[in-house]
Amino acid sequence: MMRPFRGVRKAESPLLPAVALAGSAVLSGAIFVSFDRLPVESAIAARPVQTPGDGYTSSDTCRACHPSQYASWHASYHRTMTQVATPATVLASFDEVTVTDAPGGPMQLQREGQTLWAAFVDPDDAGGESRIRRRVVMTTGSHNQQIYWYATGNSRVLGQLPAIWLTAERTWIPRRAAIMAPPATRHVSETGAWNGVCVACHATDGRPQLDAPFGSRPLSELTADTRAVEFGIACEACHGPGQAHAGANRNPLRRYGLHFRNRGDDTITQPARLDPRRASQVCGQCHSFWEFSDASSERQANANGLPYRPGDDLDATRFIVQPNRNLDSPAMRALLAQDAGFIRDTFWSDGMVRATGREYNGLLESPCYRKAPADGSRTMTCFSCHAMHKTTDDGRALNDWASGQLAPRALGNGACVECHRTTAEHSHHRAGSAGASCVECHMPHTTYGLLKTIRSHQIASPSVTATVATGRPDACSLCHLDKTLAWTAAYLERWYGMAKPTLGDDEQSVAASVLWLLKGDAGRRAIIAQAMGRPPAQQASGSAWLAPYLALTQKDRYDAVRIIATRSLKTLPAFRRDQLQGNAELLINADGTFDAERVNRLVRLRDNRRLVYRE
Amino acid sequence: MDYARRHLRVGWSALLVFATLGLVLEALQGFKVAAYLDVANETRRLMWRLAHAHGALLGAINILFALTLKTFVPSAPLVIQRTSAALIGATILLPVGFFLGGVVFYSGDPGVGVLLVPVGATLLLLSLFWIARAVWNAPPPR
Repeated sequence: MMRPFRGVRKAESPLLPAVALAGSAVLSGAIFVSFDRLPVESAIAARPVQTPGDGYTSSDTCRACHPSQYASWHASYHRTMTQVATPATVLASFDEVTVTDAPGGPMQLQREGQTLWAAFVDPDDAGGESRIRRRVVMTTGSHNQQIYWYATGNSRVLGQLPAIWLTAERTWIPRRAAIMAPPATRHVSETGAWNGVCVACHATDGRPQLDAPFGSRPLSELTADTRAVEFGIACEACHGPGQAHAGANRNPLRRYGLHFRNRGDDTITQPARLDPRRASQVCGQCHSFWEFSDASSERQANANGLPYRPGDDLDATRFIVQPNRNLDSPAMRALLAQDAGFIRDTFWSDGMVRATGREYNGLLESPCYRKAPADGSRTMTCFSCHAMHKTTDDGRALNDWASGQLAPRALGNGACVECHRTTAEHSHHRAGSAGASCVECHMPHTTYGLLKTIRSHQIASPSVTATVATGRPDACSLCHLDKTLAWTAAYLERWYGMAKPTLGDDEQSVAASVLWLLKGDAGRRAIIAQAMGRPPAQQASGSAWLAPYLALTQKDRYDAVRIIATRSLKTLPAFRRDQLQGNAELLINADGTFDAERVNRLVRLRDNRRLVYRE
Repeated sequence: MDYARRHLRVGWSALLVFATLGLVLEALQGFKVAAYLDVANETRRLMWRLAHAHGALLGAINILFALTLKTFVPSAPLVIQRTSAALIGATILLPVGFFLGGVVFYSGDPGVGVLLVPVGATLLLLSLFWIARAVWNAPPPR
C-alpha cells in the first residue's frame, strides 16, 4: 500500500469524500426534480386551466433545447393571444379607473394586490340594469386590442367585459364597436364564448368540455370544465404533441445523432419539412373559415379537443368553408341554415375571403398555390413569406419581426421574384416606390378585421372587370384615390392588354374611392377610410381633399368605420379649405366647395344592408 | 520534479488565461456583439462563461494544491505524479471542452468539444479525492 504523503497514516476509509459526493448528487437530483415540475392549476375552479396531457408537454419543456425558437415565440403575439390576467399581462390600467363609454353604464376597474376586478352592468341581465362585480381572470390579444374575461362563478364559464382596450390608441371602446356589425343599443353577451369558441384556436390543445353544445342551452344551464395544455398558441400548436419528442431526446446520444445526420426527428412535426400543402394546413387549422363536418365531430371536439394534429390532412378533420368550391355541400347548407348572411358578408362574390384571420382561404385560391406542380415544387405556402421564428439573418428587433412575422425576403419583392422573373418595367411605377412593390398591386388591403384592413392573401392582379363584378376595390384605386374606374381600366388596357368593362356614368366620372366611401357597404367604407390614411395613397392622390370625406365618414352608422376614419384623419395635416382645387371627379366645385347635390345623391344610393363580419 | 513549483506555474498561468477570457467576454457583452449576445447564441454564451469560470477556478485549485504540497512533503512520488497529472489534465480539458462546445453548437446542445468536459471532470474529481484523502489522513503537525 502506497502512502501519498510522508507522515500520513495508513489509508483510512475515504468516508468523508464519499459522503460529500453522495450529498452533492442527492442535492442536484432534488433541484432537478423540483425544476422539472409543471405548474399545477388544478386548484383553480373559476376559470379554464392549463393541464398537460394527451401527449403534450408545454413550451417550458421546449425552451431548454430550443432557446432561440422559444425566445422568438415568446416575443410573438401568438403567445399572448390568451393569458391569465395579472397586473403584468393586462395592457390597460386597473388602478381605480372608470370607463365611462361602456355599454349600460360606467365600468369601474380596480386592482387589489395581484387580482383585478371590474364592476359593470351584467350583460346577461335581460333588463340591462343590474350591476355586478367580478374578478377579471383572463385576457385575449395584445397586438391590436385586448379583451378581458371575468369569472362568472358558474364552473369555468367566462364572461366578457363590455368594453375592450385598444392597444395603439390606449383607450377603451365598447366591445360591440370593435367588430364590424350594425349599431346595437346594448352590449350583446358573449358569456361562454371563450369556453365554446375561442379555446379552439386561442389555446393549445383546448378542450371546451361543455356539458352541452355551445348555444344549445341557455347560459344559466350551461357548465364547463374547460382545459387546455397551454394558453396562447404555443410550440405544440404547430409542432404537435411534444412529450414523446422531449422524452426521446433526453438521451444525448440520440440528439447528437440527429445533429450529425441533419435529418428530421420523427418524434415531432416540423412544418418546414412537410409537403407544402400540409405545411400550410398547419396555419390553416386556425387561419381559415372552418366548421365541424357534423354534430358527431363537434361532440368529440368538445370532449377531447380538435382531432387535427400538425402534419395531418386538415380536410379530413373539418370542413373548410370556400363558397366557390363547396357552396352546394351538406356542411355548407347546414351552416347557411344557421346564418344565411354568412357567405355574403364574409366573402366577396367571387369567393375571395374579406375577413381577417382567414388567410389560408386566400392562399387556397391563389394561383401560386392552386396552379403549383403536383410534386409540390414551387408551391407557395405560408412560409414563403412568413417566418414563425425570427431567423438569424433577420437584423430587425424582435418587436419589429413580431408584427406580421414576415421573413426577411418578404420585406421587399424577394419572395415573389423567386418564381416570377419580371422586368423592372412590369410595374410601370418608379423603382423603389410603393407602386413597384409586388404586394401593393397583387395583395391590396381589401381584407378587414380588428378595426383595420390588411392585405388580401389571395394573390390576384388588379382587374376593373372583377371590381365591377364583385364590388371589391381594386389595388390601383386604393392608391390612386382620386382616379375613376375608367382611368384605371384605360391604364390596365394600355399596360397589360386587359379588356375594358362596361362602366356606368358614375364609375366614369367620379373617383372610385369616393363612390365606395359614399355608396358602398360598411366593409367597403372601412377599406376606403383606411386607404385614405395610408402614406402611399396620400402621396399618389394628394391629401388636401381627404379630410372632408373622412370627417363625413366619422358620422357613419358603423362604429368600426367611424373609428378607422378618425384614425386616418389623424394622419392628415390640418384641413385648409383654400388648398382645395376644383376637381369634378372628387365632386369639388371650381370654388372649392363640394358638390353637395351629387354627394347627397350618392349617399342616398348607399348599400345599407346589415353587414356582420365573422372576425 | 518540483510539483509545487509546477502547479504554481500552471495555476497562475491558468488564472491569467481565463481571467483574460473573462475580460474578452465582458468586452463582447459591452460592445453587444451579436455572435455572443443574440438569443440564438445562448448556448455559446453559457459555454464560454462556463469555460471562464472553470478555468479560473481550476487555476486557483492548482495554486491551492501547490500550497498543500508545501505543507505536506510528498513521500510517494507515484501518487503525487498521478494526482498532479490528473489535476493538470482537468485544468486543460474542462475549460477547453466548454470553450469548444460554444464555438460550434446545435441550438440548445453544445458542440462535440464538450465531450472533453466529462473527461476533465472525472480527472478533477479523482485528483480532489486523492488530495482530500491524503489531507484527511494526515497526522497533526508535530
